[in-house]
This record gives sequence, structure tokens and C-alpha cells, in this order.
Amino acid sequence: MATIRAHGIVARLPDGFEGRIFVRSSVMGRTYPVGQFATFPIPDDIGDFGSGAVHLMGPDDIFASLFQYGPESLGTALFSRQGRPTAFTSADFSPVRLRRGIPGQSGTQWFFTEAGRPFSFYAVLGSHPRRDALVPGVNALVSSLAIATAESTTQDAPPQWN
Amino acid sequence: MVALVVVVTFVVLVLSVLVAGLLRSHADILRSLHELGVGVGDPASTDGAQPSHERTPRLPTWSTSQTDLLTAHTVAGVTPSGDARAVAMTNHDGFTLLGFLSSGCTTCSDFWEALQSPDTLGLSDDTRVVIVTKGPDRETPNEVAALSTGRVPVVMSTEAWLDYQVPGSPFFVLVDGGTGVSVGQGVAAHVGQLLDLIRRAEYDRRPRDRRRPWTSSGRNGPGREADADEVLTMAGIHPGDPSLYPQSLHDVFPFGGGATAPVAGANGAHPDRAE
Repeated sequence: MATIRAHGIVARLPDGFEGRIFVRSSVMGRTYPVGQFATFPIPDDIGDFGSGAVHLMGPDDIFASLFQYGPESLGTALFSRQGRPTAFTSADFSPVRLRRGIPGQSGTQWFFTEAGRPFSFYAVLGSHPRRDALVPGVNALVSSLAIATAESTTQDAPPQWN
Repeated sequence: MVALVVVVTFVVLVLSVLVAGLLRSHADILRSLHELGVGVGDPASTDGAQPSHERTPRLPTWSTSQTDLLTAHTVAGVTPSGDARAVAMTNHDGFTLLGFLSSGCTTCSDFWEALQSPDTLGLSDDTRVVIVTKGPDRETPNEVAALSTGRVPVVMSTEAWLDYQVPGSPFFVLVDGGTGVSVGQGVAAHVGQLLDLIRRAEYDRRPRDRRRPWTSSGRNGPGREADADEVLTMAGIHPGDPSLYPQSLHDVFPFGGGATAPVAGANGAHPDRAE
């Protein structure tokens, strides 16, 4: 079981998962940590929520993204839930919840606040009909995550010459 | 009588010189054998020193013996920019080539460049390339970042070096994602040698009925020879088969009804004939 940690997020990856926790470089403004986890090779240049990767999924694959929002989201109704969801069920997944509707796949997305940081957790299953077999993998992944309090986890844009 | 004694004495002296020479020659041979690593004991020392064959530099090798194969571990660490990265070995059916490189290793420079341009290497689509350096405790992230192009994952992980028992850089491990074990590991002197080893591993893993001789460019040397040998063997043509040594055009075109003139260079003078 491999463990990765960066930017105040720790993931003890279940067998078969790989992942990365990163902060995108930004020309202006601030960027916030993103965690991406999958049961298939994650391409290096993909979108925060898996665009460029989800079309590579097989029917038994899982992709998940833990995306942190800016502090302006704290206290809003969307992020009012305290703590991440810990026990998904098959009913939580639906093809209509996909950010990018690929036939046969299924998804779910939750917004929450944990350790004073606003997040969304987005997961995609490679096959909606096989969601009963795949959801335990998502739950194992979610339970493997640990989130530290918001301190020094953001990255200022580097100074730029005009 | 005196003359006889003198002659015998002379003969004895000559024979003594010859025996001494033979003993010295024998000692030289034993010493040479010992230096080659096949000697027993060390006539020149009694301190139980390390055998000389263990002191010689390690030559470029690629091990595929079962005893050397390791269970593939997930490579987990940080990137040169401080992000976290874990690359699993068993989540796809293809190969993963782990290139254990260092930023300060001059031999590694060609591999840094080549491995980050996998499209130009001619590897199969399902072969993934990952570069692994030691962790930030042993490598300077800025130096590694300067060598990274972002085209392939670069993971800094001392733990991965320990997991894969890497003796030094450059070192390479080829992992079969389908079985979850390394199918080859070792060092390569140059990129071409590494590619040939990878292609051979890819070829060996194919089902036999799907194997075909290489038709793409860049397949030369022992790999091409091995391919040709395998195809001939599958066709029932073994070493020494008469069909490999045509004596006439009829031997080459048995159904062509052509002439029976000797093939140029026949009678043992064919340029490609291997004795």
C-alpha cells in the first residue's frame, strides 16, 4: 500500500490505485491542491476532473478527483456539509452526474468542508451496470484520505515581469 | 670417470632449471586462473580477501532469470516541483519501464533525453515510461526539475530504489503489468541497447501464434537473428538443414522448372553461408 502526501493531503492508496496530489501553476491568482486517483495509468496532462482520462477507462476502472476550492467558498450553502462522505452506495452513482457524459459510465460528486478547507469529491465508475462491484473501491479510497488543516497549502503565483 | 661425473652433474643442473621453469609457469597459470575467478584459493595471500571476480566492474547486463525477478511495487514519492505522485505497476496490461536515473550521472544524460521522448523510441503503445530518482534527501529537486520535460512521470523516491534493489544509476527495470513482476532488470550502456532489450521482452511476451518477424526499421543485431531463427524453426528448418545451403537454382526454386546452374558462390563459397 503506497502512501503519498503533499499540500496537506495524505492518501494511503488501496491496491491497484495510483494517484497524484498537485497544485497547478498559475499565471495569476492562486491555485489550490487537486488529488487525482485511478485504477488505470493517469496521463500527465489531464483536466482536474479527469477530462483526457475518463475516456481511457475500462468497465472495471475507477477515477476520482479531490478538488479544493478557494476560501471564498467557505461558509456557502454548497459546502455546508462537514466532512467527506465515507460510505457511498450504488444509489449515489448515476450516469447523469457525470461531468462529461460517456455512455456506460457512472458518476457522483459531493461538496463538503473538512479541516477548514472546501472540497469536492468527484468519482467516476467505468461501468454503471457494475457499480455494485466498484463502489467498495471508491469507499476504500475515500477512507484512505487524510486532510490537514489549511495552512501553507496554497501557492501564490510566481512574480511575473511585465 | 671424472668426465662421466661432470656430464651427469651438468645434466642434473639442466633438469633442475627445467623443473624450476615448469613450476614457475604453473604458478603463473594458477595465478591467472584465479584472477579470472576460476581459481581455488589464493596462492599469493592468506587473508581471505574478496575474490577478484567480485572486484571487477559490473558490465552492462540485463537479467531475466526467475531468481532475479521481483514483485513490482508501486513507485510513490514526490515530483521535482514538490507534488506527490504514485505510479502503480499492475493497473494495466502493458509494460512499465522504470528508469532509475540521477541528475549528476554523466552516463544518465542520454537516457534523460531519450526516455522523455517515448514517441521517438518506437516502444509499443502499451509500454509506459517512468523516471525514478532518489528522494529529495539525496537529490536536489531543482536539478531534477531542470532535466524534466514533463512528458513522462518523474518520481523522486529513495524508497523505490530500495524496493527494486537498485545498485546505482543508470539502472532499468521492465515490469509486466499483467503478471505484476519485473521481467528484466539491469544496466545498459546506451539507449539502443536498452531498446533492443525491451523489444525482445515485448516480443517474448506475445502469444506464439501472434509473433511475426519485425518489419519495422531499427530491428537489427541479435534480436533480428533470433527472430529469423525462431521462424525457421517453426517451419521445420533447423541448423544444418540442406535448404540453407543451396547448390543450384533448382534448390532455391524447386517448382520453377528453371535451370540447374550452380548458385553463385556455391560449393562452400557462398558469402552468407555459416559453417
